[in-house]
Amino acid sequence: MTKFLVVYLLCTFSFFLANLSHAGEFVWHGFGAQGVIQSSDSNYINESGDVSFSLTEVGLNTSYRINQKLRVSAQGIYINDGNRFNEGLRLDYLFLDYQLLSTPSWNVNAHLGRYKNYHWLYSATRDVPHTMPTIVLPQSSYFDAFRDASLGSDGISLIAQHHNELGELDMRWSYGNTSVNQEQTENLMSEFATGELEHDFDTQFSLSFSPLSSGVAMGVSMLRTDFSYDAGNNDVFIDGKAKLFRLMLNLTYSAEFWDINAEAMRERTDFIGLLSNGGIKDTVAEGGYVQGRLFLTPQVTLLARIDMFDADKDDRHGRLLQQNSGGAVPDYFAYRDQITFGASWDFHANWRVRAEFHKVKGRARLAPVFIPDTVTNDSEYWDIWALQVIYWF
Amino acid sequence: MLNIHRIGFRLMLALVMLFGVNYAYAEQSQLRVIVNDNVKVNSLSESSVRWIFSMRQTTWEDGSAIKVYVLHQQDPAHQNFCKDVLSMFPYQLERTWNKLAYSGLGEKPTLVRDSQEMIDMVSQEPGAIGYVLSTSLPPNLHVLQISKEG
Repeated sequence: MTKFLVVYLLCTFSFFLANLSHAGEFVWHGFGAQGVIQSSDSNYINESGDVSFSLTEVGLNTSYRINQKLRVSAQGIYINDGNRFNEGLRLDYLFLDYQLLSTPSWNVNAHLGRYKNYHWLYSATRDVPHTMPTIVLPQSSYFDAFRDASLGSDGISLIAQHHNELGELDMRWSYGNTSVNQEQTENLMSEFATGELEHDFDTQFSLSFSPLSSGVAMGVSMLRTDFSYDAGNNDVFIDGKAKLFRLMLNLTYSAEFWDINAEAMRERTDFIGLLSNGGIKDTVAEGGYVQGRLFLTPQVTLLARIDMFDADKDDRHGRLLQQNSGGAVPDYFAYRDQITFGASWDFHANWRVRAEFHKVKGRARLAPVFIPDTVTNDSEYWDIWALQVIYWF
Repeated sequence: MLNIHRIGFRLMLALVMLFGVNYAYAEQSQLRVIVNDNVKVNSLSESSVRWIFSMRQTTWEDGSAIKVYVLHQQDPAHQNFCKDVLSMFPYQLERTWNKLAYSGLGEKPTLVRDSQEMIDMVSQEPGAIGYVLSTSLPPNLHVLQISKEG
């Protein structure tokens, strides 16, 4: 019911706002996407493995310029993506944007409120379908179960931009946290987690540089975040903490008819408590992807990508994982290598249809993480296909 | 002998006319970055123009607002402008604007239908900047000199 109401409201709004997107000082934008998706032999979308229409993403945003230095921006979204994300409405961002410095070569802005994660290649508009290369993003860097925590935070963010005869430089810093609800806790940890998971803080710093007229852009980002867990009644988990440090590198090259995007990440997680039998150990995960796109025409794009992820660099084949769990968790939950092929067609102004197929080896990065669903996910190889129609204004 | 001279003269004349036509054509198709007459800037570097059209610089040096106007992605003037002035491809610029508009960071430029609307808007709107493939420009706007870098 919520889904139909939200889609109806978007359609109504879009008719009014498409021609008035710069009305007065308010600026409006929005998007809506509906698709069909299936992963027949995993719990990635649903437990049954049936074809699912739980691929709905709708959003509406506005910004208001109070004066030349001060703006306010907000976006609300509705998503229904099966097991990938919890269904519901979300306030995606709502912040005050204050321009601290503006010269012909420097720009410095501060954001206060719920800001987006601007540090990774696709994090800032991860939930806006037409700005993403594929429906399912490379899970090494963009783990779906971690989506809400990594999409943005409530706090403060600083962005500095500079250009000179060498190129363009962007620097970003942010500090904040997010609230984690029970559904997200279960999605991330397990349905047996009855306690409360809290996102204590999240601080990130990133730097990117694009040499003048080169088509190349390169960047580095660092994330440091803490989660606390207060165990509930009859909980399989105990009180504890997870401390996470992530380092990411990215590189893009843009040519006239093709482009390449790549990101690599290394993520260290230290655990204190959480499992009474000490079943969770400190790990260093590594992963990365390389993605190529071919622009056959301005409307038609082909895509190929390889994404690789190892949950523990000291146990890339999962032998220890299987051994330490007494054989309950198969070794293929320790890694995930994924090949993706996709195509998209902009069949009308602001309308796109796209399709993709993923062949996956391994089951890492499938929620829930701590106590995985080994019944549904009973084989090493699996696949995903999806088709989606997108409208935006 | 006379015929040879006549033929030679006519050939030269034809070449000069051809050059003239080409020159006139080149003049007509030259891309110009235009600003409203109230903008007290006569020249910008390429990277400054890219900075403005990437919507990163939102005010002129005197603190007044910059109003950016663009043509559709498929318009030849937009494609020339992106490649020759901004040294980037239209899809890169589109991606930059989308990131701004859907993450709250900034605003997209205003899209106009054609060159005539571009000229109308830039000449009417204080602080406006745009581009055209044209030589005949009305009053109330002036052409910026763009300096190359690198």
